[in-house]
Amino acid sequence: MNAGTFVAACVMNIVAYPAIIAWTLAGILFFPFGFPLWKVLTGWEGDRIMRHFVWIYGRGWLGIMLPFVRFRREGFTNSRIDSPSILVINHLSFFDTYCMALLPVSNIAFTIRSWPFKMPWYAPFMRLANYLDLEAIGWEGTFKAGSRILSKDGSLLFFPEGHRSKDGQIQRFYSGPFKLAIETGAPIVPLCITGTDRLLPPNRWWFLPSKVCLRALAPVSPKEFTGETAHVDLRKHVKNLMTKNLEEMRSKG
Amino acid sequence: MNDQEIIDLINTTLADEFELNIDDMVPGAVLKDDLGLDSLDRVDMVIVLEKAFNFKIREEEAIREIYTLSDIHNFVINKKRELQ
Repeated sequence: MNAGTFVAACVMNIVAYPAIIAWTLAGILFFPFGFPLWKVLTGWEGDRIMRHFVWIYGRGWLGIMLPFVRFRREGFTNSRIDSPSILVINHLSFFDTYCMALLPVSNIAFTIRSWPFKMPWYAPFMRLANYLDLEAIGWEGTFKAGSRILSKDGSLLFFPEGHRSKDGQIQRFYSGPFKLAIETGAPIVPLCITGTDRLLPPNRWWFLPSKVCLRALAPVSPKEFTGETAHVDLRKHVKNLMTKNLEEMRSKG
Repeated sequence: MNDQEIIDLINTTLADEFELNIDDMVPGAVLKDDLGLDSLDRVDMVIVLEKAFNFKIREEEAIREIYTLSDIHNFVINKKRELQ
């Protein structure tokens, strides 16, 4: 790390962490007033409102990081994230979920493992947003709850690798989201993210300035895949698309 | 097909299907903890084994007792013998 990057990283960590804590506290304090007000104004259901609030919170996080992180979006138009869809994304960092505020839509329920539900400052809001705790409810529960969310015009987001990649390379994909797509007919929207592994990879707690790119690929219809291994074929096809795009994105820097 | 050929075919088939590292395919590997195969993968595993060995095993009770890779090896070897 050169001297310039070191100084920038120091400033980033001194500024960004307190700002994120302050923004989180502001969100918690705003919630008791904002939630009922939003409900009266929009008539939305509670989970829909909460997902929108999470998206706004994420937009605030993007604003805090903006002096230190160059965010870029590729391949996005509103029509490419047709709701309801099943979004799948590679996983590099704890802050990948925050980067979902780069998406042009907010009605997305995250399907994640149990440990984020153990953060008391986030857990009540995650439950209100009907985020799915994969480890607690299993695939059968995820399919039931996921189908319900899709039927109410919500989208679902999965990290098909299950864990953050420790070396930045795409890992093995689990079949769950692809089986759900086959069962419900909802399109898969592959998302590729780069740069968050430099921002905050697993096993490091301090930020580094970085360039983050989020690319949306064209939706993949599950109807093109048939037979008892349709979900496996769909999984392999989507992973192949994502691997190629990630290689290209990394080569461009 | 001898026992070793059956074991090799099982290992390469599962490694290919579930993107596993062939070096991790040791007999004592626990499917869930060591190879990371979840409940859906176990269903898919039965399908790929049926295709690879051209038999039907999805209704068999013994499938539910499989926990390690060597359990699969033994199950398939016994099933092949049974069918001969």
